[in-house]
Amino acid sequence: MDSSHSAGSHGDPGLQPERTTLAWGRTVLALVTVSAIFLRWLPRHGLPILLLFAVSAAAALAIYVTQRRRYSTRSRGLSREKLDADITAVLWTAFAGFALGGLGIAVVLAG
Amino acid sequence: MTNSDQPANAGTPPSRGKIAERLLPGGEEPDPRFTLANERTFLAWIRTSLALLAGGIAIEAFTSDLFLEPVRKGLAVVLLLLGMLLSAGSAVRWLRVERSMRNKAPLPLPLIVPLLAGAGAVAAAVVLIFILWR
Repeated sequence: MDSSHSAGSHGDPGLQPERTTLAWGRTVLALVTVSAIFLRWLPRHGLPILLLFAVSAAAALAIYVTQRRRYSTRSRGLSREKLDADITAVLWTAFAGFALGGLGIAVVLAG
Repeated sequence: MTNSDQPANAGTPPSRGKIAERLLPGGEEPDPRFTLANERTFLAWIRTSLALLAGGIAIEAFTSDLFLEPVRKGLAVVLLLLGMLLSAGSAVRWLRVERSMRNKAPLPLPLIVPLLAGAGAVAAAVVLIFILWR
């Protein structure tokens, strides 16, 4: 991300787009952590665990590759004082967490 | 800058997409800063739920020589279930806050706060009972 302008191109002194993009970045890290710990289930629960790993890693990757676009949409939204809520990203992220929890419970109870 | 001169009228707003029209009907776009703050709060809840998932996974993976099997599985399921409910709850919370802001209504009380507190207390109680009666 080009940070040569003092407050980005949006001119928001509160740096809202930066903070929001960083919050998504921290969520990526949390998802990567979860996917890594899932791998510790491999010895006990076998190959189906790779599905859990794939879901969490895919969620992390999906957020990661859209970060740049996310930043510019929000930056533009702030400059024109009009920004649509990112309902798709919110619902997908929540669904990923929900599905991971559900699959995890199934594995614990089955194993 | 094609949309910069769009009037912010409430009559026929530009299409926001089907899901948004359906789940966030009526009202008008709040200050973008509020929308982004709501999004960051949602993400903080999601990370909390991911931390609970990680805890549940770790208990199942690492504590087989510490806890009896029912305790280990019980704790793992409690944490995973809580993470699952918090994930869903955080999306619901995000929607309700976004709706309130669109309609300039007071923000709803967070139901996920008592959920997190209550289930955290249950998990702590399970461990406490296990330690005392072992």
